[in-house]
Amino acid sequence: MSFHHLDQFATVPSPVTAMPPVARLVGATSVAVGAATLPLGAWPAAAALGALVAAMTLLARVPVPLLLRRMSGPLAFVLLASAGLLVFVPGDPVLDLGWVAVTRPGVERFGFVLARAVVALSAAVLLVTTTEFPDLLDALRRLRLPRVVTTALSLAYRLLYLLMEELERLLRAARSRNAGAGAASRRRLAAGVAAAVLQRAFARAERTHRAMLARGYQGELATLTEWRWRAWMVAALATLLGLVLVTAVLARG
Amino acid sequence: MTAPLVEIRELGFHYPDGTPALDGVSLAVARGERVAVLGPTGSGKSTLLQHLNGLLRPTAGGVWIEGVTVDAGPGLSDIRRKVGLVFQDPNDQLFLPTLMEDVAFGPLNDGVGPVDAAARATAMLRELGLDGVGARAAHHLSGGERRLAALATVLVSRPVVLALDEPTGDLDARGRMRLVDLLRARGETLLVATHDLTLARALCGRGVVLYGGRVVADRELGALLADRALLERYGLESPSGE
Ligand SMILES: Nc1ncnc2c1ncn2[C@@H]1O[C@H](COP(=O)(O)OP(=O)(O)O)[C@@H](O)[C@H]1O
Ligand SMILES: [Mg+2]
Repeated sequence: MSFHHLDQFATVPSPVTAMPPVARLVGATSVAVGAATLPLGAWPAAAALGALVAAMTLLARVPVPLLLRRMSGPLAFVLLASAGLLVFVPGDPVLDLGWVAVTRPGVERFGFVLARAVVALSAAVLLVTTTEFPDLLDALRRLRLPRVVTTALSLAYRLLYLLMEELERLLRAARSRNAGAGAASRRRLAAGVAAAVLQRAFARAERTHRAMLARGYQGELATLTEWRWRAWMVAALATLLGLVLVTAVLARG
Repeated sequence: MTAPLVEIRELGFHYPDGTPALDGVSLAVARGERVAVLGPTGSGKSTLLQHLNGLLRPTAGGVWIEGVTVDAGPGLSDIRRKVGLVFQDPNDQLFLPTLMEDVAFGPLNDGVGPVDAAARATAMLRELGLDGVGARAAHHLSGGERRLAALATVLVSRPVVLALDEPTGDLDARGRMRLVDLLRARGETLLVATHDLTLARALCGRGVVLYGGRVVADRELGALLADRALLERYGLESPSGE
């Protein structure tokens, strides 16, 4: 399952993975927000931020096809949602489809929305590809995200895998009894399996809660990790933030 | 006269849905004893163990640890530190993103600082031969490793009594012997719920048989295992290879 390898590049040694996760999170977020909020038509700025992400990708030694593959899902969504721009923005028609026409400003607007999305998404995907989930969580904690949220997220992480395991077991058991041949039977099987997984999730949560109490849990999740900041890391993060900021200002210039 | 380490007196319990699970269970365990709690599935073994640290509350009778009654009072966190409970399914006990965090969880809750908690977790993982996998998530461990890891999460808090629920469920013969050697070498007082009579024989000196929520036998383990009629009556198979 692809999901077992979400963070497979987190352990590849590189300047990117050496950075404290907080730095990675802040860096990626600033690029993503910077890109997503660029004013329409700020092509040079979008290109600059895109180049920044490309440089990071190279540094982290993440293969570009992998990055693109991971972006494809959300990107398809953006494509669909913004396709209307092609025809609804009034202006010179460049392609007449009979009942509607694709306009020149429509193409420009659509292209820019897409470019913004590509840059923002690639920054986000690069972050989760190079950062292990526990580190990401720790970063969120350091950024003072409420404890309940980070606690819930860290428990959800393990639970997600346990549920996937249960799901696989249930499906295997059902298939070994020849369930799921034919559409109606498949629907019934899916409903039954979903109900069973849900029920097991609740039972599991209950037992885990007891296991936490048994080890002295009193409502606060304390943590272990310490990362070391080095001068070059501070400098690198500051440079990145500076570049994003300058780009954003220039784009609005 | 000193109180036994664990004392269970006339313990009765039924689940909220009305299912009766324990009925008049009495049992005293002295420091250093290793007791096998035997019985077929549904006889009340897991329910009994969960009373030892107050996860379940008796509907009749009571439980005392070093003479202190197990109830919701201020002594409960102390009792939970003294009684280490290892659940039947290791996955229930490995709920954090990495093994290291899971093992440090107990000490951190006891107020140990992050640096010391990490040091203790590291030492514990090393003792169980898990040094290499502390940074891993539990879903990247083998079944046997998960079992040891769950044990590590409890041993790290230095309990006086260790209550193990079906600890050999997913271990092969070698894994079982390793567990036995480890527990014998450490010397905690043990209550082991199991229907694995081979494990009981290798590890314990005394056997208590539960059946339908009642204690039906409490003897020296060798004598108990030699009583074939008893084993058969209560649905226990004699140890393999005999
Ligand atoms: N959460 C629960 N709710 C209701 N009944 C339960 C629950 N857990 C166990 N039981 C019932 O209590 C009895 C004792 O179960 P248990 O202590 O799990 O036995 P064992 O561990 O020996 O297999 C059984 O009849 C079982 O069905
Ligand atoms: Mg049980």
